[in-house]
Amino acid sequence: MRILVLTKPVPDPAAGSERLGSDLRLDRAASPTVVNGNDEYALEAALQLVEAHGGEVAIMSMAAPNATDTMRKALAMGALRGVLVTDPALAGADIPTTVRVLAAATAKETFDLLLAGLDTSDGTGGAVAAGIAARLGLPLLSAAAAIEPDPAGGTVRVRRLSARGYDLIEAPMPAVVSCTQALGAPRYPSLKGIMAARSREITVLGLGDLEADLSPADGAWATRVIAADPPPARAAGRVISAPAPEAAREIADFLADRRLI
Amino acid sequence: MAAVSTNPPVHGSIRLTEDQILLRDAVRELAQEQVAPRAADIDRAAEWPEDMRRLLAAQDIFGIAFAERHGGLGADLLTLCLAIEELSRACATTGLILAVQSLGAIPIQVAGSDEQQERWLPGLATGEKLISFGLTEAEAGSDASAVRTRAERDGDEYVINGGKRFISHASVADYVVVFAVTNPEAEKPSRRMSAILVETDRPGFKVTRLEHKMGIRGSPTAELAFDNVRVPVGNRLGDEGRGFSVAMQTFERSRPGIAAQAVGIAQGALDAAAQYATERRQRGKPIAELQMIQAMLADMDAATEAARHLLYTACQEIDAGAPDAARWAAICKLVAGDAAMRVTTDAVQVFGGYGYVDEYPVERMMRDAKITQLYEGTQQIQRLVVARALLAKRS
Amino acid sequence: MAPRILVVGEVIDGAMSRLSGETATMARLLAGAAGGSALGLVVDPSPDAAAAELAAYLPRVDAVTALATAGETWAPHALAEIERLATDGVTHVLLGVTADARDLAGLIVGRLGWGLLANADKVTWDGSGPVVEASVLGGKAIVRSSFTGETGVITLRPGAVTAEPAGAPGSVDARAAGGSPAMPVTKVLDRVAEAGAEASLEEARVVVVGGRGIGGPEGFGLVDDLAEVLGGVVGATRASVDAGWIAYARQIGQTGKIVKPALYLGLGVSGAMQHRVGMQSADAIVAVNKDPDAPIGEIADLLVVGDLFDIGPALAAELRARRGG
Repeated sequence: MRILVLTKPVPDPAAGSERLGSDLRLDRAASPTVVNGNDEYALEAALQLVEAHGGEVAIMSMAAPNATDTMRKALAMGALRGVLVTDPALAGADIPTTVRVLAAATAKETFDLLLAGLDTSDGTGGAVAAGIAARLGLPLLSAAAAIEPDPAGGTVRVRRLSARGYDLIEAPMPAVVSCTQALGAPRYPSLKGIMAARSREITVLGLGDLEADLSPADGAWATRVIAADPPPARAAGRVISAPAPEAAREIADFLADRRLI
Repeated sequence: MAAVSTNPPVHGSIRLTEDQILLRDAVRELAQEQVAPRAADIDRAAEWPEDMRRLLAAQDIFGIAFAERHGGLGADLLTLCLAIEELSRACATTGLILAVQSLGAIPIQVAGSDEQQERWLPGLATGEKLISFGLTEAEAGSDASAVRTRAERDGDEYVINGGKRFISHASVADYVVVFAVTNPEAEKPSRRMSAILVETDRPGFKVTRLEHKMGIRGSPTAELAFDNVRVPVGNRLGDEGRGFSVAMQTFERSRPGIAAQAVGIAQGALDAAAQYATERRQRGKPIAELQMIQAMLADMDAATEAARHLLYTACQEIDAGAPDAARWAAICKLVAGDAAMRVTTDAVQVFGGYGYVDEYPVERMMRDAKITQLYEGTQQIQRLVVARALLAKRS
Repeated sequence: MAPRILVVGEVIDGAMSRLSGETATMARLLAGAAGGSALGLVVDPSPDAAAAELAAYLPRVDAVTALATAGETWAPHALAEIERLATDGVTHVLLGVTADARDLAGLIVGRLGWGLLANADKVTWDGSGPVVEASVLGGKAIVRSSFTGETGVITLRPGAVTAEPAGAPGSVDARAAGGSPAMPVTKVLDRVAEAGAEASLEEARVVVVGGRGIGGPEGFGLVDDLAEVLGGVVGATRASVDAGWIAYARQIGQTGKIVKPALYLGLGVSGAMQHRVGMQSADAIVAVNKDPDAPIGEIADLLVVGDLFDIGPALAAELRARRGG
């Protein structure tokens, strides 16, 4: 099987220092970069699938030139090669452009499955996987909690998380699958993986290497941020420590004050 | 004539390579996220943490101590010590799993034939097999040449009788490198024993008890009995009568591992104490603002850093083939062990009463630190080695 | 071109979802402010009942009978209908945030190249277009954004507006789905309901969460009980989910659901950043934890230090007493 995983380098949410810059765009220099959480689940699922069915996993990112460092960690987990799409013109790209660029870049690859995290910690639009499927004319299987390909039959089955439980859905391959945490925790790169990753190839593509009309229709991104504010400050809280019956009364009083009961 | 290393001295210029940093950081992340949360329970349960062994195996961490041709990473002694340090910072017992595995394998690496190395090292490199180092006996601790366990030749086998004491991890090991007397007639006591690898499933091999210890409580420390245990002559590592020399060569490379454990324990204690000092408030301010606390933390930091740099230098000297490798091994273990004991004791002090209770990690770290002054040669033995090397230059 | 805002309604068990009522209300308000129009679309094997409900909020609703969506995923079929309506003057598509809506929004971006403003907590019209307010970076910033062109997709969070029917109900135009979607379909082989997956966390007014301190799946009995007496929904932290005590569907946090209830009650929740980003915008936050230094204390309005297995039942009893049994 050939599986391509979209991995996005994002500011590390655990560092707590994500912020917008003065131009109201994400300040990508403000925090160390890691692979987006949901993409790691996608990558882990891909690695397990090729372990079971044979084949190889490649990763692709559309990011700044220094994304190669973050991509090395994904390679260390077991992906065999990476593709980095980078171009100064893409800094701060909007979602439609991201979809067009990644669709053009993935169209140059051969794969049975294209996996991506359901959404990203620095975006949360969660539209890219679906947008690429629409653009490439591939079936979309979203919110995957389990992925079961049938390479001989050329189809893939996915357990899709739903409001009530899950749906069992199926489509022919090649297909696009968006992935959730329910797929299972990503492995730590082993030391051999880390050493091997240093010599694995990352191909760098610029906009000039992709065939498609990629520039936004009228030269501007489709959306823009007008203003950004910190969230309203919370009033300082109270700490109480009392025997259970008294504590219960205090909580109930608090809730009554706030008209919550 | 002063002993001089044939390679230019490297101390004073410790810079980790990119690879060393990469591997150290990977182990550090793993240790902080997966090992540290287990440390308190491992100590409380006082049981071998098989999940930690599997974790080290799955991440290729055992491989650090082995050559590539045996399935390892082919990393140097410094890299191994970096890994032991990072693991020990989170959990001294888990750091010891790696240290003991590398200790047990060294006799095979320095004295084993190519065939013996190919037979045993690959399984050890993956962590699929575990190995222990069986030298110490009830009456042979610091005086290693007083070993009495006998290995008598019978045809193409040795028959081993005797006992060992304080053998780390022997109750979970697949192999024990046993030092036994094969040449009782030899004039010098240090020429009487041989190093023989014994598979622990051989009939007559028995673990007779496990010690209840002050610290590193997850690490099983075993008393062994050998009752007519038969092993092929092909299990002997190196020539007959060369066992003592094999042991001494082993210590040159294994003592830094214990120093690394000590540095890791010290760093973990320092981290905990510094964090606590910033959070604990008395009289309206964090105790970190008090000069007496700052002085203690500064001394702890200085002691840890000094021990660390001496260790790293020692690793580089030993790997460079310094003729005074024994002195480097002893001196770094001496300094690190004392630093660990001092730093962990002071860490408990910073915590005050809370440092004495097991809700906080420092009392465990202090109990763990003590062993680094005792095993792999007591601090007194290390001092003898250092003094001998020092005075030899002057005689 | 006058703005024409299309609301795509969601059908649950044959009826219109509550979120669709809010979304339709929002569309009507925006259309009013914009001097434009709003309409609705329901795509379903049996859309009539839901379309009639949605028509209480909008002047016109297209009820599209798409029998295929009984056995195929919905979004590609909805996309086909939207592409049809886009040529009919629709400028903006408004969707309530759901899994299907997330897919549909992405398909629209891919096929039509429209911009997307997601997870809106507030939408207003400022003369030239919608202005969307959303919380980003795990709650670190509230941004207001707009489209630079005349078209766009907006996904709306629950509670952004109170659902309010229009003065008079609108008309329903029923038709059959027109032909197959332009993109490949995905078959639905089965739809499985799992116990514990039902109630929607994102729409809940009260959320009661069990964290690591709950200690095991049995501890969730207490969480259930308090959720019941408070009229809320049970949630979980990643620690509880990873430990296997409760389904992932209940997880609140960075890789789970983002909730903004009126009341968040956390039991044995330490308040790791991973979880906080999922709940820190709750109006009122109450936490019970035996550790006075638990990070949740940084955002809690009330931190109760003590054993949750003593305080929890005492609280349930106190609340029942005040309720009158």
